[in-house]
Amino acid sequence: MLLFKPRKNKLMKKIFLLMAGAGFLAMGCNKSLLDTSPHDRYTEATFWTTPEAAAAGLTGCYSVLRNDGIYGGKNSSGGSATALWDETLSPNAYNYSNTMSFNFIAAGQQNASTGGIVTARFGDCYTGIGRCNTFLAKVDEVPDMNEDDKARMKGEAKFLRALYYFTLQTYYGDVPLILDPPNKETQGKLPRTPRAEVVAQVITDLDSAALVLPASYTGTNKGRATKGAAMALKARALLYEASPLLNTTNDVAKWTAAAAAAKAVMNLNYKLFGDYRALFLQPNENNSEVIFDVQYIFPNQGSSFDLICTQYNTNAPLPDLAKAYYMKNGLPTSDPASGYDAANPYLNRDPRLYATFTYPGDVYKGKKIDSTRFASTGYGMKKYSIYDSITPPSDKSDLKDGQSDINFIVLRLGDVLLMYAEAQNEAAGPDATVYDALNALRDRVKMPHITPGLNKEQMRAEIHHERRIELAGEGLYYNDIRRWKTAQTELNTSIFSWSGKYLEKRSFNPQRDYWWPIPQTERDLNPELTQNNLY
Amino acid sequence: MKLLLRFHTSSRLKVRVLLLGILCFTALSLQAQDLPITGKITAANGMPLIGVNIQVAGTSRGTASTADGSFKISAAKDATLKFSFIGYLPKEVKVTNTTPLEIKLEEDVQKLNDVVVVGYGTQKKATLTGAITTVEMVDKVGQPLTNVSNALQGVPGVFANLGNSQPGVDRSTIRIRGVGTLNNSDPLVLVDGIEYSMDELNPADIESVTVLKDAAAAIYGSRAANGVILVTTKKGKGASRVNYSYYYGQQKATYLPDIIDDPIAYMKLKNQANINEGKAPEYADADIAEYQAGMATDHFTYPANNWYDIALKNGVIQKHDLSVAGSTDKYQYRLSIGYLNRDGILFGPGNNENKYSIGINASMNVNERLKVGVTMDGYYRNYTTPFYTSTWSYLARALPILSDTLQDGRYGNSWLRTLGRNNWENPRMLAYNGLMTKTVQRFLTTVFAEYKLPFGIMYNIKFGVDKYDGLLTGFTPRMQTFNPKTGAAINWNSPATAPRSQRTDYNDINIHFYNTLNWNHQFAAKHNVALMLGASYDNFDSDSWGTSMYGYLDGTLDAFNAGTVWNATDGNYTRDVLQSYFGRLNYDFDGKYLLEATFRSDGSSRFSPAGSYRWGFFPSASAGWRIDKESFFQSNFIDQLKLRVSVGSMGNQAVPLYSYLPTVELGEDYSFGGTLNSGGATKKYVDPTIHWETTTTYNAGADINLWGNRISLTVDAYKKHTTGILRAVNIAAQIGNLTGPQQNIGAVDNTGVEVVLQYKNNIGNLDYGVYGNVSYNKNKIVDLNGEVVYNSDGTILKEGSPIDAFYVLQAEGLFQSQEEVDHSAKQSVNTKPGYIRYKDVNNDGIINGDDRVLINTSSSVPKLAFGFGFNLGYRGISLSAAFQGISGVKVLPVANLAFPFYNGANATKEWETDAWTPENPNARLPIITTSTGYADNFQRSSFWIRDNAYVRMKNIQLGYALPDRWLSKAKISKVSVFINAQNLLTFSKYKDFDPESVMNRADLYSYPMLKTYNGGLNVTF
Repeated sequence: MLLFKPRKNKLMKKIFLLMAGAGFLAMGCNKSLLDTSPHDRYTEATFWTTPEAAAAGLTGCYSVLRNDGIYGGKNSSGGSATALWDETLSPNAYNYSNTMSFNFIAAGQQNASTGGIVTARFGDCYTGIGRCNTFLAKVDEVPDMNEDDKARMKGEAKFLRALYYFTLQTYYGDVPLILDPPNKETQGKLPRTPRAEVVAQVITDLDSAALVLPASYTGTNKGRATKGAAMALKARALLYEASPLLNTTNDVAKWTAAAAAAKAVMNLNYKLFGDYRALFLQPNENNSEVIFDVQYIFPNQGSSFDLICTQYNTNAPLPDLAKAYYMKNGLPTSDPASGYDAANPYLNRDPRLYATFTYPGDVYKGKKIDSTRFASTGYGMKKYSIYDSITPPSDKSDLKDGQSDINFIVLRLGDVLLMYAEAQNEAAGPDATVYDALNALRDRVKMPHITPGLNKEQMRAEIHHERRIELAGEGLYYNDIRRWKTAQTELNTSIFSWSGKYLEKRSFNPQRDYWWPIPQTERDLNPELTQNNLY
Repeated sequence: MKLLLRFHTSSRLKVRVLLLGILCFTALSLQAQDLPITGKITAANGMPLIGVNIQVAGTSRGTASTADGSFKISAAKDATLKFSFIGYLPKEVKVTNTTPLEIKLEEDVQKLNDVVVVGYGTQKKATLTGAITTVEMVDKVGQPLTNVSNALQGVPGVFANLGNSQPGVDRSTIRIRGVGTLNNSDPLVLVDGIEYSMDELNPADIESVTVLKDAAAAIYGSRAANGVILVTTKKGKGASRVNYSYYYGQQKATYLPDIIDDPIAYMKLKNQANINEGKAPEYADADIAEYQAGMATDHFTYPANNWYDIALKNGVIQKHDLSVAGSTDKYQYRLSIGYLNRDGILFGPGNNENKYSIGINASMNVNERLKVGVTMDGYYRNYTTPFYTSTWSYLARALPILSDTLQDGRYGNSWLRTLGRNNWENPRMLAYNGLMTKTVQRFLTTVFAEYKLPFGIMYNIKFGVDKYDGLLTGFTPRMQTFNPKTGAAINWNSPATAPRSQRTDYNDINIHFYNTLNWNHQFAAKHNVALMLGASYDNFDSDSWGTSMYGYLDGTLDAFNAGTVWNATDGNYTRDVLQSYFGRLNYDFDGKYLLEATFRSDGSSRFSPAGSYRWGFFPSASAGWRIDKESFFQSNFIDQLKLRVSVGSMGNQAVPLYSYLPTVELGEDYSFGGTLNSGGATKKYVDPTIHWETTTTYNAGADINLWGNRISLTVDAYKKHTTGILRAVNIAAQIGNLTGPQQNIGAVDNTGVEVVLQYKNNIGNLDYGVYGNVSYNKNKIVDLNGEVVYNSDGTILKEGSPIDAFYVLQAEGLFQSQEEVDHSAKQSVNTKPGYIRYKDVNNDGIINGDDRVLINTSSSVPKLAFGFGFNLGYRGISLSAAFQGISGVKVLPVANLAFPFYNGANATKEWETDAWTPENPNARLPIITTSTGYADNFQRSSFWIRDNAYVRMKNIQLGYALPDRWLSKAKISKVSVFINAQNLLTFSKYKDFDPESVMNRADLYSYPMLKTYNGGLNVTF
């Protein structure tokens, strides 16, 4: 401070005049001062310019599979387990704590404002659709792409788009069909497209995907959509279309088409995996039976499958399912000749029961379990959990939110065999190929073959039963009983615990509940969207 | 205080002796050589002054002037008489003889010439043309203000809402004149002219806080739409002084939910709720019987816990402030340090706060042309929270059957299986294990210079650096709760991820620079002109990253190098720039006619460089008329009558960075063959044409001072018209389920009136004052392009309605019979007597979203806000109280405790007595069910909308300034002691939680408002 002596006044004055001018001037001239660009995201204009970016864009289409509304795993607090909760919509399992409002739907209490899965599934399907549409529109602009890679990647995107549209129309019926990248002006007020058109697009996408996708992948590409995946999803779509809910005139041609589509998958190189329990264990991921699965890895991309199976018990198997398993001798428990002992109900049953869930008296995680271990129904789901009778290693003893590693199988050969059997029986009656398909599944678990000489109706009942047992815990049974139009009886009951304790009453209104409501939020944002019947 | 204490404890005899002594002494001094003094007191214009306080210096003797201005008093020869009167300068006269005194008191023009801080300068209060309110922090001395924002409560036109009293984050949300925008509504805060957070300053270092409410704020055009708050720090003035102040206080919660704390009552009601919704009872009769029997002998297994009682204690707050300040004509300086310590009301180490502040403020007149200065203000502070931070939500979920600890000290859960409670949140375990500590070092450093150029032009330049360093560290050990009966453990956190250490580093630097040229000139003695031109540049850089570590042997060490498994790292960097030019012209004619015009042009990096979206232009004009200065206006009792009008436009750019830019975001990863692949996706819809939101403010006001400034009245009426409102708009999911774009969507009007009235006077030695203010604000959306914006919390934006008006089902009471259910519109398969009956508005026989109705009350902006208070002073004793209140706003809290048995949580006691049963058909509440198991009753409906109007005694304070004659010997110039209480009384219909905290919240689990009892002292050497 002492340096500033009066004699320096003139100098100071000059400095300040200079600064004054400079201050105003510097700011006046430099227009680029305001040009900042983000450091953590690409702009759309700069992103789609390299093959790596195109690959990342496609990965973004896959990542939606893990969203809460599709198969689950990705949520803000950690993980979810949507794929397993789907089972609780059916008579097979119970979500006592109403996670994502699944139990409201099981109990027939859902409405347009229910939120939860009703909102999440609608939105997440469109997340996937929007990304696939963007990818398909942008990938052609990317320079230096290998043409084969590009064709394959387009096939993957079409498969995923088909999967998202298939899911969407399965639950909501008519939905807006949009095939262009997201655009508020052109798409914001589009009304619902008739469901048949949506399904037609699903089939178109799957057919064109099947043409370009490889039969299988190796190494770090395992898990991408294959030709088989496209064909198997088509088989499922056609089977649903042929079913009573959608095929109201019982057009046999639809069953024939479904059978042919399933048969085509059976002709590919898939083999049933030898061990039914191990089929759903992490070391056997991507095995010979798996056609398409959702990839989970810990720590970055896990799900909460183990947490809900072993602790939360929010997919608790119900006694109705336990009763449905045949005895080891192939006879239903209701048959006096079966040897079923009500005092020892879990003795000598279909081995798939032991592989699918645990019951009071079972040995689980190295301990004999009592009826309070799984307090809501007494049963705990094993399928898609790493836990079994043995004591788990200490670092896996108690997996929490988002820590499960196991992939979720969306399509597998076992399911395709059942699709074929069902469609073929409806189209041509119970011929030998129907028996072969079913007995292949019976052989794996060393269950007796299906009784020969069944008529079509008897065979239909047997197939329905076999689907329920073979696919229990895989989230498919709710859609089966919907498409068979048996939900109105199967879901119009009270549910009980293992010991017969009343839990709650379920209801199913056949005029309303075969379809989910269009979420109220969507109808607020787009008044052109009509609502499903009676919502 | 010590003296008083001794007085009380001494014997009666001692008291008598003491009193006698005083009496004798007084009598003696009277007898000495007292002169009878008389006189008359008048104002400069000869008008007699009534009630002037006359005091004999150094004694307690005093009197007041009578109706004709005359007085009588006796005083020793050569004693000094002190004359004081509000609105006039004090006068001292030495008594030499008994000649009647003719005393003329000068009007305190200084008071009227008070300057107030305005944008880029100061102005005389008398020539202001804007609506400005100033809070002098000297009025808040002694109050346990932890943050400056909390000092703005009760200021007219300002709505300060403290939603969370947690140590470290207890900051008020400030809304000035309602909510004009649908986006960020926080006002712009400038500290000594530089943008900064007012809550990063020690309140003790602040001189005043000025709120610019109308077009006066337009000089800060770019971001002034929500009002501007100018904080002025203390500077050295006059002789060097050392000031020390200290206070200590104890705190407790104002309101807590009234929970069921009897375990048997809880279990029975929960069972009833399950039965009512058609489910099996939760607790078996045998278990309840066992529990009842066990409670007498074993409270570890059979507890009856009220978790609010267990978890809460008295909080402690204390603060030390020390400063040295002074000035000469060459320099001024002020140095200060401060220390605040808070130990919150929650048990465990997770709600403590320490703040160390430092303030440096110095300037020097280098020569007659140049003045330079430097300021540095800020904090080093830290605060703690539990590692799992949701303590208040865990408390809201704690049940009376939840064991605190087992006999051996391990943390308990409950042996009773309760659905929804798989992993019991034991609040004690979570409060005592695992801690997050946020350490912040934030300082605002400025250097400035003023230089007198030729022609009377003044050049100002100021450069400020706002540096924020934050470090968030956290560590959690493994935690387990144990079944009190079987000892079986439940892992709270997974062995795979705990123990875990984590750190996040925040590294922000904001650079601000402005320079101005000022020119003042007076023409012909009557025309006053002032001109200011300036430019500014603001740059905001923000950088953060965080990482975590697993693989610790046990829960004792938490350093990173003690762990073994490195986990993911994350981080982000952003930059944001503003560039502005501005100017102001003031003209006044003879102090009578006042005119002001400002302009400002701003460019922001938040808008697209394409087109004309980036730059905004914001002009304003205002005028004032001092009617009292007119020659035709003759009044004996009107001291000031000023009319003001203003109009101006201001901007708001509060949109997230790069909102105009279509981007592809990363992080949408997926694994193939066990290898993670980077995934990208467009997640937001973007409107590249977004631009400045503009608020045009019209204000008309009057300032009236009466009867020697004893009464002052300020009235303002305003209209704020905001166009091009920026708001994130939801779009239909079918558009790729993208997050909606930020768009300029419409227009909102805020119209209102503010009245501030003060009265102050004295009766002899008793000074007293009362004041009150009331602000009425009407908020209305005037244009949304015909669209309706639906928020996710049951509120909407709709033309003609206030912002965030409720749009919910209309409840029509409760169903009383099955017949009534059968004949009503279909609600749900389970609807039965006792359930809420909703109105079928569209008569389609189904209750659904189409039956929602608009309730024209905002959920976020109160219509009426008011404050009032009084202060009394008598010879060093002062008593003051301040009240604050709001009305015309409604709330709809949901989830834990707001609704009963939410996902395994408890219910409030009202559900035991006030719920519908066939025997109690006129009940206030519907039949008891769990709110998650049966959603139909708990849909957002008019049934649950509550009025949270309140009146609250914010502060009451009793102070005592020790008499000068005691202090002068000790060379102390001033000592005062005080006690006060904050939030002592609250009047509100809303009882579930604190009515102030519940505003703008959808639940009941924030850190509640605190009642504080406080005492301290203030010493100046």
